[in-house]
This record gives sequence, structure tokens and C-alpha cells, in this order.
Amino acid sequence: MKKLIAIFFAAAIIAASALPVFSAGLNSSEQSVLSNMRTPANMKGNSVYVPASYVNQAESYFNTIDMTADQASKINGIIGQGRSFLEGTGKSGVRELSSSEKQTLLGYASAAAGVLKMSAAAGSDTNKVKIISKSGDTIVDDSTNVIKATGAESSVVPAVILAVTGGLFLLSGTALVLSKKKLSYEKIEK
Amino acid sequence: MKKSKNKSKKNIKNFIIFPVALCLVMFIFVFAVSAPFISNIVSIGSMFMADKQVDYSKSYDNIFIPTDTNADTVNASDVDFPGIGKQFGELSIENCDVDAKLFYGDSSVPLRNGVGIYAGSFIPGYGRTILVAGHNNTYFNGLKNVKKGDVVIISTSYGNYKYKVTGTKLTTDKDKKAYDLSAKKENLVLYTCYPFDSLGLTNQRFFVYAEKTSGPVITGLYE
Repeated sequence: MKKLIAIFFAAAIIAASALPVFSAGLNSSEQSVLSNMRTPANMKGNSVYVPASYVNQAESYFNTIDMTADQASKINGIIGQGRSFLEGTGKSGVRELSSSEKQTLLGYASAAAGVLKMSAAAGSDTNKVKIISKSGDTIVDDSTNVIKATGAESSVVPAVILAVTGGLFLLSGTALVLSKKKLSYEKIEK
Repeated sequence: MKKSKNKSKKNIKNFIIFPVALCLVMFIFVFAVSAPFISNIVSIGSMFMADKQVDYSKSYDNIFIPTDTNADTVNASDVDFPGIGKQFGELSIENCDVDAKLFYGDSSVPLRNGVGIYAGSFIPGYGRTILVAGHNNTYFNGLKNVKKGDVVIISTSYGNYKYKVTGTKLTTDKDKKAYDLSAKKENLVLYTCYPFDSLGLTNQRFFVYAEKTSGPVITGLYE
């Protein structure tokens, strides 16, 4: 469910990403959005924060764009509405939100993304969040964990498993044929 | 007539099916044993046999241009911030057989071609956490040789960085205490799957921690 909140904030981040102008560093508009993102929502006494990884991604992205005061104002407005909505649900945590409340939250995200002709969507389990640009490119795909699977390179493992399985299958088949052949020789000898 | 039919059936079994089956078994066995090394052998073979330079940039963008600059600071405007999936540097560890291309982003393409920084962390010079992933059977296999005090070198187009290894930790992939993405101090965290030579999937991760000893600080971040 935290992901659903994250999509809301991520959509706000993406709002800034549509800007065509490049600028290094963080201007006051960008800093205000980041500061707003770091402000927790108070859900029945519990402080609910946007995950650090999302704020970091926003900060990194803001380093590559130039946000205007007007755009920052709109983004901050959306963040504020989302926070008020969460606090107004009367729930003590995001996990307690009902399905319709989740949809409302997603609606905020979609509305924010829609202004910039982008779309935001969450999977039915609300654990997979995607933000897609007008051209169809995936801008945010939150379907992976922070710590990745770094075992043997994934393309090698299935090949090895397939080869070993196939080898065992053929070996057992050959053994079966050979044993039958031996039996038939024994019968002939008798 | 029946006898000759049986004989020809036996001949087919003895001289065609069995040899082919055995060849297949042997081939599969050899492939299974050598699969982890095949790609490396093919790569090395291609290097010698190719009549022209291979263009590795087709599968990903590379913005890395080595530099000898040893400045203490670099302005943010001079940093070509990498897009997700782009190679923007190199990472190596002296005496540990770790030498890899460094990508921004840690999806399958970066990890197939080198090591990758998690986009929810930062790139060097920003004074924050740098979280780098690599496969245990390729680019980060050498982490098994890492010792306290070893030097990790990260080369980028905007400067060269050195980090001193301060410690290691073996834990699970769900352990959120293994890294701190909110840290306000530049710290390097490398990780890979454990055991180092295992082929199967595992939830264990080997983390290496290092602190910055040299390299330019990015300035002009806050206007």
C-alpha cells in the first residue's frame, strides 16, 4: 500500500519531468517540492513518510531539469491534497485503506499525470506501480526491490537447468533401453 | 523375412539411436558443465576472430569519457547526469579482480554488462549513499577477496573517486538495515549474491561498505 502512496508522489515527480529545459542543481521550486515530499502524513498519530528511494529519485531527476515556481506550486498542491486525503480517512496506516480509498488515491496520481499527458497505473495488488509517458515509454516501474537478485546471470541458469534435466532424461531413457536389451539377450541365451 | 526385419531394427538401435543418444547426452553434459564459461569463451574468441571492432554501445548508451582531472570540486552544471541504463563510469577494486563498467540503474541489461547503481541512491560526488549491485558469478565474484582497507576506484567523466573498504556483512535481501538511503554522508555500498560461486537463486547477500577518501565534491547543487 505504501507503493500506492508512492505512485501519488511519483506522479507529482513526473509532472516535473515533462519540462524540456535542462538545468543542473536544485532551484528553490525543486527544493520546496522535495521538502514537501519529506513531510509525513499524520494518520491517526502515525507519521507516514514517502520512501527515501522515491525522494532520492526525485532529487536526482530534479538535478537534470528546471522547474518553474508555477509548476512547483501545482505539484505541491497535489501533494497537499493527497496528504489531506490520507489524514482524512481516519485510518491509522496505509494498509488499512479500503479498495475505494486506494482508487481515490490513484485518481489523484492519474489526474496529476494526466495534466502532463502521462498515465499512472497500479496493478490489482497495488504493489506494481507504473508511470508511462505520452510516447509509451515507461518512466517509473516500481516492480522491483531495492536489493536485486544478483545470483548467477539469469540467462545462464535456465540453460543449465534445461541441459541437466535433458541430460538426465536421456540418460534414464538410454539405461531403460539397455536394460530391456540385456533382458532380451538373456531370454535368447536361455 | 521376420528375422531380417528384426535384424534391421536392431541395427538401427545399435548403430543410429544409441550413438546419437550418447552424443546428445555427452553434448548436454559438456554444455551443462561449461555453460557459465561459454559466454566468456565466445567473447574472447570473437575478440580475436572479429575483423572489425565490436560496437558494444548498441545494447546501452555509454556517456563515459575517462578523465585525469584531480580537482577537489566540480560544478553540478559540468556533470552530465546519466539517464537510467547508461554507462557513466567504471568501478574497480585493487587486488580483488573486480573491474567493471558502471551503470546508472540496476536492471538486467546493466548487470549483464557490468555493475549498476540503484536509481533510488546517488552517483558519486553528491555526498549521499551509493548502492551498487553486481552478479556473483561475473563482475562481483571478486568481492570474495575484499579485505578491510582495500581501495575501490570509481572513474567517471567528471572525476575519479577512491573509497576505502571499512567492512563487510552477510545478511538477507530483506534486511533494510544493510543500507541507509537517507544518509547525508557519502558512503559506498556494494553487494552481490552469496555464496559467490552458487548458480541457484539465494536470498543471502554479501555487502561491502566503503567510505570516500578522495574525489571531487559536486558543488552548486542548491541555487
